[in-house]
Amino acid sequence: MNNNSNKMFFLFILFFSTLISISSNSWFGCWIGLEINLLSFIPLISNSKNLLSVETSLKYFLTQSLASINFLFMILIKFSLLKNFNMNNIISIMMNSSLLMKMGSAPFHFWFPNIVEGLSWMNNFMLMTWQKISPMILLSYYFNKNFLIFMIIMNLIIGSLGGLNQTSLRKLLAFSSINNLGWMIFSIMISENLWLFYFLIYSMMIFMMISLFFLMNMYFMNQLFINNMNFFIKLNLLINFLSLGGLPPFMGFMPKWIIINFLLINKFYFLTFIFMMTSLIIIYYYIRIIYSSFMFNYFKMKWVNLLMKNNMSLINLSSFISISSMILSTFIFM
Amino acid sequence: MLIYDIRFLFIYMFFVGNLIFVSKNKHLLVVLLSLEFIVLSIFFFFLVLLMFIDYDMYMLMVFLVFSVCEGSLGLSILVSMIRSHGNDYFQSFSML
Repeated sequence: MNNNSNKMFFLFILFFSTLISISSNSWFGCWIGLEINLLSFIPLISNSKNLLSVETSLKYFLTQSLASINFLFMILIKFSLLKNFNMNNIISIMMNSSLLMKMGSAPFHFWFPNIVEGLSWMNNFMLMTWQKISPMILLSYYFNKNFLIFMIIMNLIIGSLGGLNQTSLRKLLAFSSINNLGWMIFSIMISENLWLFYFLIYSMMIFMMISLFFLMNMYFMNQLFINNMNFFIKLNLLINFLSLGGLPPFMGFMPKWIIINFLLINKFYFLTFIFMMTSLIIIYYYIRIIYSSFMFNYFKMKWVNLLMKNNMSLINLSSFISISSMILSTFIFM
Repeated sequence: MLIYDIRFLFIYMFFVGNLIFVSKNKHLLVVLLSLEFIVLSIFFFFLVLLMFIDYDMYMLMVFLVFSVCEGSLGLSILVSMIRSHGNDYFQSFSML
């Protein structure tokens, strides 16, 4: 039943549920928003006719419902014990754990690559960007600093090491998403404005990558170097992957730069080391993909020089934004 | 278990419900039933907590509405799975 008006309806309720969750003035309202989020996302993803989408929606439902019902129980315990103002206790650990499970952060991440493998690219985009907003903002309302720093370290390490053995592009982006979750959770602890900045840039980068893969209909890594893509598409792939990894002249470096600045000023040296080393591993496996994509199959015709096969304008614009936006952003605040 | 506080009953029910949820079962329906059991324990807990607020039980009703919605969503996914796989055994999942 591929019905676009159904999708519009559930998408509207999905957006609305996040707004309910983050703008409520009691924890119960937050729980209601999370429930409506689950209720409206499941019809969006179980909307096709193959076996895999049923299994995907089942796994998503089971993990998310368990997490949200645990969250509600912890809210009630917090209510009964009247622990509203001190944040570094065991109840905040339990509440943060359930929110981390909703987000797909390590150590509760095992459902995330499985589900990402079973969804189409546009559903993946919703799962990786929009579904993370409301658990993160709820995390920022009542977090336990030591617990979250430990979770961040686990996120970074699992996100970087888990992606090394993947051949499916969706799982690769899933592990990259887990790694970026580590950065985002740390930016929540710095300031919410910084989290918003990181999140917007991250979702823009993921949108560029996913729209590229969606237009080329690519789901696996061998599709990147077997078929003969245009040079500009490969260049766009290079720029977007390096931007996602956080390399300097590209857009993805800017939020990471601000976070590293904060880390070093406040003397979090060990954490800086872990952030840097795991970013290195991630850039390694991005470059491994791009290297084989560029070198393995380079096909150029002799008589016709510029073979523009696919629709290029959006891709060119996104490359331009990725390269130039960090430098152009310094001109805004003059 | 001689513990003279009602909060331990809720925590015990919740814990047992979670334990059955994460255990290896043959059928999916057992998992959904354990989810409903956790909902029941939270209902009881919520009732006892709200009794101290002079009969303002409205939040309990809202909670009940949302939990029933979630339970019915689980059942609809169960039905969808039975339509495509034939039964609700966990072993009929392919590796994702």
